[in-house]
Amino acid sequence: MIGAEQGIKDVWFLSLQGLGHMISTLCAKGYTVVAPVVRDGVITFSEIVSVDEIASGVRDEMGPGKYRLIDDPLSRPFNYVVGQDSPKRFFFPPKLELVAMHVEGKRFVLDRTAPKPPKLAILGIRPCDLAAIHVQDRVFGYNDEGVSHRCEADTYYNQARKQSLLIAVNCTQPSATCFCDSMGTGPRAKEGFDLSMTELGGGFILRAGSDDGRAIVNELPVRDPSPSEIELSQLKIDQACERMGRHIDTDGLKELLDDQIDHPSWDEVAKRCMACSNCTMVCPTCFCSTVTDSNDLATNVASRTRHWESCFTHQFSYTTAGSVRSSLRARYRHWMRHKLGTWWDQFGSSGCVGCGRCITWCPVGIDITEQAAILRDHPDASNNGGKRQTERGLTV
Amino acid sequence: MTSLITETRPAPVCGLDTWVPVAAEIISINEENFNTLTFKMRFVDEIHRDNYRFLPGQFNMLYVPGVGEAAISISSDPEETDTIDHTIRVVGSVTRAIQRLGVGGVVGIRGPFGRGWPLEAMKGQDVVIVAGGIGLAPMRPAIYSLLRHRKEFGRVMLLYGCRSPDDRVFGSELDQWTEDESIQVLVTVDNATGGWVGPVGVVTNLLQRIRVDAQKTVVLVCGPPILNRVAAWQFLQLHVPAQQVYISLERNMNCGFGRCGHCQYGRKFVCTDGPVFSFDEISGVFGRKEI
Repeated sequence: MIGAEQGIKDVWFLSLQGLGHMISTLCAKGYTVVAPVVRDGVITFSEIVSVDEIASGVRDEMGPGKYRLIDDPLSRPFNYVVGQDSPKRFFFPPKLELVAMHVEGKRFVLDRTAPKPPKLAILGIRPCDLAAIHVQDRVFGYNDEGVSHRCEADTYYNQARKQSLLIAVNCTQPSATCFCDSMGTGPRAKEGFDLSMTELGGGFILRAGSDDGRAIVNELPVRDPSPSEIELSQLKIDQACERMGRHIDTDGLKELLDDQIDHPSWDEVAKRCMACSNCTMVCPTCFCSTVTDSNDLATNVASRTRHWESCFTHQFSYTTAGSVRSSLRARYRHWMRHKLGTWWDQFGSSGCVGCGRCITWCPVGIDITEQAAILRDHPDASNNGGKRQTERGLTV
Repeated sequence: MTSLITETRPAPVCGLDTWVPVAAEIISINEENFNTLTFKMRFVDEIHRDNYRFLPGQFNMLYVPGVGEAAISISSDPEETDTIDHTIRVVGSVTRAIQRLGVGGVVGIRGPFGRGWPLEAMKGQDVVIVAGGIGLAPMRPAIYSLLRHRKEFGRVMLLYGCRSPDDRVFGSELDQWTEDESIQVLVTVDNATGGWVGPVGVVTNLLQRIRVDAQKTVVLVCGPPILNRVAAWQFLQLHVPAQQVYISLERNMNCGFGRCGHCQYGRKFVCTDGPVFSFDEISGVFGRKEI
């Protein structure tokens, strides 16, 4: 994968009609094309075969605990940001049967194994979601650039990822809950895409980030962009930075979260949190899962199915001694410290990409950027720099 | 077989991938106390019997088809891997199902997982083992290794506590270890029943009965959270360096290889970074509530 600051030869202008060509080209090359569509009043990724299915003519309005689609007279194909859906589920499915087996004599006989993932071209990935895919690459051990991973690769994830084509769309219209520029993930997709697009009035500035991407461009009716078109596309992205709805000061944030582990504001958040787990279900990087077992009574085939899990549930940390994190205070604190702090120790990156979904889809509008600001602006000085006295009078 | 005093983790045995358990037969069951049983298991396929290795302190995911999995410490000798012991307190659906299977039953195994006791770092040092209840199970492989390579270690002391004399696990071995005197064994109980004449009280009281040479002592602790905490604090107060106090922790485990997120403990995944941690690795969160 190549970064964005590449030679002019990798930049083209694609007309609005050219987008239809792109979709038919991808289909002809054997890709299942997935793009943002409107379903149930929200932007959702779905399989498409025609450009008409893309969610044009709508804009999204967001705020803490608020999401609305409104008509957009501009009728552009990508003039909205993100819905609750992210590309995560195409690589890490919400529910995946890992294996089904039965016992025959003393042996296990495999009846089914995990399905083969489809070959996907995902069109319309926002830079925050693109960054989230690369965050999950580290979690699931996807080995693209020789990064040393903590464990062996996840079979399904690796297969799905390897054969996928990622087409990013840069953001020119951030929402009120966006903070990608704080997290360094957007509004411009810097790397890790096969193709990236910036929407202008009558078409797109198209960039290639990989050989697979260039191979697609070769089949499209593109022309060289004019200098003013390139300048306009850059200006629109720069302006998007200035219109970010939210902001997090990430400087020393990891240490701040360690330091403020006993801050009274965790209790205030807990009074509002309902442990509904929405934030973790919409998060494009959350990776927790649980494998459940079921038995087919007719055939005695035992199935093992992995499904998304949330650290906000009571059973998540359950041991025979009870739930480790029984209070909502502890569950929210764990989630937020993980996203912004301990993820760095585990995977060498932030676990938050600034997409703002957890703020938008929280039914009571709990705001991770607000909580981070409280810890920074009103630190609890009595906590002795994260040190504490044990019950036996030791300071550790 | 070569010496297994090493910290290089053996590759886990598994089926198609790390999610798929491998069949093993229960070949005998030993009753340790009223609800704790030691299951001796042997892989059905020879290739797994030949390839399986583990380090003291590591654990397996035991699987009963259609019921589920449980993370269980391996409690047998790491240099005798033809069979593997799991010492299990029967308290949940999976452990009950394993008990119901009985001798001849087939369970699934994925593992071994996790980081074990620091046998390499223990060489030449005095070793104090502190265990409570079934916390002795993950210690037993370490004790076997210490006994096999006795000359490579300094003094070895085992401090064990349980509710009553009948609650002791590995009772006959405790007696045998006490008798052959190559390690110093001290056992205390909460309730002195059945003519018990030994110490009564919490296991950390036994510390008064041993001599600790702080700078050259490695401490291994495994028990309920309160024992882990109090034992760790006490050895730190005796000036045993924090990086020489090791604690084995229990958490909810689902995958065993750092993928499912359940066992997170601050920045650590207990299944891969642990379950054995030195105190200095977890000092920021150890003993804190609800981490």
